Amino acid sequence: MSERIYACLLRLFPSYFREVYGDEALQLFRDRAHDEKGFFPRARLWLDLLADLAISVPRQYRYVRPALTGAAVQQRLECAPVFFVLLDESPGPGALIFGCALSMIALSLFSILLNHAGNHRPLSASTYQAGYSRPSASGQAPGDAEDVIMNASRVRPGEAKPDDSQSKALLPTDGPRLPEALPPQLRHAAERKRLLNAVIDNLKKHYVDPEIARKTADALLAHEKNGDDDKVTDRRAFADLLTKQLREVSHDMHLEVAYSREPWPVLRPEPTAEDLARYRKALEQDNCTFKKVEILPHNIGYLKLNAFPDPSVCRETATAAMASLNHADAIIFDLRDNRGGYSSMVSLISAYLFDHPEYMYDPRESPTQQSWTLSPVPGNRLADKPVYVLTSGSTISAAEQFCYDLKMLRRVTLVGETTRGSAHAGGFHRIDDHFGMGIPEAKAINPFSKADWEGTGVEPDVKVKAAEALETAEKLAKSRLQRK
Amino acid sequence: MPKRKLDPLPSAAFQILLALADEDLHGYGIMRQVAEQTESRMRLGPGTLYSSIQTLLEAGLIVELDRREDAKLGQERRRYYRLSSAGRKLARSEAERLADLLRVARAKKILRGEYV
Repeated sequence: MSERIYACLLRLFPSYFREVYGDEALQLFRDRAHDEKGFFPRARLWLDLLADLAISVPRQYRYVRPALTGAAVQQRLECAPVFFVLLDESPGPGALIFGCALSMIALSLFSILLNHAGNHRPLSASTYQAGYSRPSASGQAPGDAEDVIMNASRVRPGEAKPDDSQSKALLPTDGPRLPEALPPQLRHAAERKRLLNAVIDNLKKHYVDPEIARKTADALLAHEKNGDDDKVTDRRAFADLLTKQLREVSHDMHLEVAYSREPWPVLRPEPTAEDLARYRKALEQDNCTFKKVEILPHNIGYLKLNAFPDPSVCRETATAAMASLNHADAIIFDLRDNRGGYSSMVSLISAYLFDHPEYMYDPRESPTQQSWTLSPVPGNRLADKPVYVLTSGSTISAAEQFCYDLKMLRRVTLVGETTRGSAHAGGFHRIDDHFGMGIPEAKAINPFSKADWEGTGVEPDVKVKAAEALETAEKLAKSRLQRK
Repeated sequence: MPKRKLDPLPSAAFQILLALADEDLHGYGIMRQVAEQTESRMRLGPGTLYSSIQTLLEAGLIVELDRREDAKLGQERRRYYRLSSAGRKLARSEAERLADLLRVARAKKILRGEYV
């Protein structure tokens, strides 16, 4: 037994020493153990051995070090990686495999912990959402009116998630009400059934095409009957499964069932008087987002508009801006920073560009009286003037409607970058505290082509970088005016 | 293997050289001889013993002999070591150095004369 212990202790010595003298040392131990029997001699033997180890092991390693450091210095001169090792033998294959396995396990554990510890979302999700983040309405800096406009307008289905910073700004909350978070497991079949029924009800009530809504609902019920839903107990997985089933039949990628671990904020159906007053005040402070109205050289009118605000608040500002450009020979609309807004404002401004009423197509709204421009506008001289619209990759929503419709009507020349590509706003329908549904409510038929700008954006006629768009448009306008 | 310094000669190495002065010995034999000649004040452990042996071998102060059995200790074959002429010379000069030291110590009345 004691010999085995000493054999283990011998492993403390460097390998070259063990190889040459290991057996001898063990033999010496055996000889001494053989000769020194009894408690005290044996105790003295062990004391000797331990003292000997304490002195000679460090000494053995110290003798090795200078040789190794010398080798390392030599390697460093050749810019090669340098490792300092205590042993002069290379690790065996077993040690290498063990090392690899250990590193992999440590790495996996690290990433698992990173993604699942507490309420953390995966890193990829945060990065994705970071791209969409923008200042909240509480910032109260010029330009916030655009955010207010966005708040007052619609919510895109994919964005209507409460754990998403953007939708927190979009969805007004109902005070500090915070029901507790649910565990992610579905408790029983009854809850599944309740959710399924709610999804079907919402679909039938709100989906734009009743025929597709009916077919999709039937498919959901068929899946349920087949027991396709039974295996899923995780709430999020169930929401994803329903989304998949919805899209299979409807082929509409904007339909979705969403689950949130945190409770959804409660939507207020109508903005309150206070909201409206705040909105009005923000717009007024921001000159209704009419950032610049001026006449450039060669009598080119320039209007920088950062939103299409509500005409009930901004009609006068818009009219005044257009009137001040009335004597221009050409117009440049700068929508490079335009965040969208109301399609009634799109119609209102477009009215100045025609001498007869034109239909302003908006995929999100059924045609109303306001969908037609009130052209001709009395006293307006812009109906036949060349018009250039500056676009950028962040020109979005109602601004895209302006670009798309006027391009399709061949009334304007788009200069700049392809627009953002956001056409279908949809309603978010709350099912309960944790489940909701995004249902696109496309209501109008596109008179120009099958596809609108959803996902693709509006292509410019003259493709240049957004920063160079104004200069390019000015040149185009100038040469056009000179040709006349 | 790097050279280990034997200058000054460590006392363990000197004791080993002295132990091998009379006869060839294996490791355990050296240990016992050293214990005997120091009246058990120095009991060389295996680590110290064999690292000293290693150093002395490298310096050519001792030589390693073929393995053979020690009749008193059973049938195991053991490595024996012998003092080389260089080793003997070094041991002598070390002893002389110590003798000189002793003379000085005696002259300084640190050590009384009767011992050496």
